[in-house]
Amino acid sequence: MTPAEPVAAVPTDAALIAAWQGGDEQAAAELVRRHARALARFLAGAGAPDAELDDLVQETFIRAFRALGKFRGQCRFRTWLLTIGGNALKDTYRRVQRGGARIVPLGDELRATDGDPHERAVAGEAETRLQEGLQRLPHMQREVFLLRAQQGLEYDEIAAALGTTPGAARVHYHHAVKRLKECVR
Amino acid sequence: MNQDEQLQDAKLQEVARRLGAAAAARLDVERTARAVVTRLRQEPRGTVLSWVAMRPPWLKIAAVLVLALGAGLMARGAWRGPMPRAAAVVPLEDDLSGLTAEQLREAINSMDQVPADEGAGDADWGGGGLSAAELRALLRALEG
Repeated sequence: MTPAEPVAAVPTDAALIAAWQGGDEQAAAELVRRHARALARFLAGAGAPDAELDDLVQETFIRAFRALGKFRGQCRFRTWLLTIGGNALKDTYRRVQRGGARIVPLGDELRATDGDPHERAVAGEAETRLQEGLQRLPHMQREVFLLRAQQGLEYDEIAAALGTTPGAARVHYHHAVKRLKECVR
Repeated sequence: MNQDEQLQDAKLQEVARRLGAAAAARLDVERTARAVVTRLRQEPRGTVLSWVAMRPPWLKIAAVLVLALGAGLMARGAWRGPMPRAAAVVPLEDDLSGLTAEQLREAINSMDQVPADEGAGDADWGGGGLSAAELRALLRALEG
């Protein structure tokens, strides 16, 4: 019988952050690998167009690494990252609006290429309507809704990341759901 | 909550969970990681901008005030025109070499008119090293 190989401990986000601050580039790369997809999903859900998604993900990570000194562990690194992503997206909207153009998010039904075409179309239609509804929500309601419904976070975590109270986050979510239900009916 | 509302809630939850998944799946995570690391490598840590960004607002305001004050003082200096530095910088010998006996006499007279409490009698003339007495001796030598 061969002895069981020791399981390599997966470094925590905090350990990777400390390693990066100590000059370890690979720690930064690992943080990107770990959270990039969740961030992309959040940004796409919040209305980031496909063409801008990669740039926005990169920009969010750059902003996060620059501001790591301000991260006090009030919430998880990923939650903090998502809120930075939300701000980066808001800045992109502002920049585009100043330039006179308009960002039109591409519906997922137009992008997805796998699965039954009819099911894909129906599912895609609901997603597009939800995305349109999200665009009409105030910034805070949209972020709270996505953090809760898409990312599955608790109100305490959401409140800590957005600098509000769990009660206020719950109210924002309630208002968002009330308005969005109409969209997916 | 009736059954209809529950269904609607469930549907909303389901759609929300799916939202953006297809776009995220297309992201090339490895490429993104490489790009982020490259960008981080290109910008030195602790740049002035990041330093400014991390300071509390009151410190930023103080820094702006100090900069404005400094700029104001410089502008004020420029407005008043350049300082009369020539007398201090130009060697006295050079000044004297071009003077006639008459001009030297005028200079000595003007020095003699300076009030006594300023110690003009044998004081240095503009820091050049020659006193009024030495100038008088120079004048005598010029006059023969």
